[in-house]
Amino acid sequence: MEKIVIFGDGMSLKKIYDRKIDKMKIKIYLILVMKILIKIISKILPTLTAYAHCDIPCGIYDPHNAQIAAHTVLRMTQLIDEIGKMKNPTAEDRSKFVRCVRVKEDHGELIEEELGTLENDYFKEEHYKKFPNLKKLIEKAVKLSIKTRQAIDMDGAQKMIDAIMQIAEIFYKTKNLIPVRISSGYPTEGEIVSHK
Amino acid sequence: MLLAKFKITGHSMEPNLFNNQTVLTSSIPFIFSKPKSGDVVVFKVDDRIYVKRVKEIKNQKFFLIGDNNRDSLDSKKIGWISKQQILGKVVYKF
Repeated sequence: MEKIVIFGDGMSLKKIYDRKIDKMKIKIYLILVMKILIKIISKILPTLTAYAHCDIPCGIYDPHNAQIAAHTVLRMTQLIDEIGKMKNPTAEDRSKFVRCVRVKEDHGELIEEELGTLENDYFKEEHYKKFPNLKKLIEKAVKLSIKTRQAIDMDGAQKMIDAIMQIAEIFYKTKNLIPVRISSGYPTEGEIVSHK
Repeated sequence: MLLAKFKITGHSMEPNLFNNQTVLTSSIPFIFSKPKSGDVVVFKVDDRIYVKRVKEIKNQKFFLIGDNNRDSLDSKKIGWISKQQILGKVVYKF
């Protein structure tokens, strides 16, 4: 025989338990409905930009860091590839391999950060109008920085350098400076963009 | 802006809002009450919209700061913000 415990307000323990379950069900249902509504609303609304600026607007911008970082990614890719092809890598080689991967990761992130600063803080609407391929070049370079981190992609790293060099050329043009391609002097060879 | 969707650009609101994170904002909460200390709000200065947290309210003016104090462009440089400049409150983070 089922034993029913009656509480002060005349409700059994089972009834109290059922009510709590019902309340929880309603809460979960409401949360789900809210989430679906938010998803629908977010798809309808256009995405605007809210700046959470992290730099003092000092006016000092330079595409140089992104170029150095891109050459570093290429160099690390070359070194990783060399070590990867070794038949009997020593502990030192393995240690160097890990360090190269880390440096490649760090400089890939640096590229995104540097390009993000140029994109959001330096380049203005008039620059994007004057150089219609600028936005696509930045997007391309950022995508390649992700791709070159994910893989040992020599070709991708070279394409990334090329895209960043084109961005650097646009950057100098916006400052009414004449961009010039000069020999990098790095082990990666190739060029970097400076100005006259 | 009853309801708006923003993509965050920058790191000054970390660790609460991250670079490239999307948020929903609404001005509805400010129809019934004023922004209060601790609210994360979007506001307009010149042609740009920023996101910061309300730190202090004085004479109907709002002092806004970034959560990442080490590295933030906020009211310390922008100055006090009026209620008219505040567009809405961050009500949902994706």
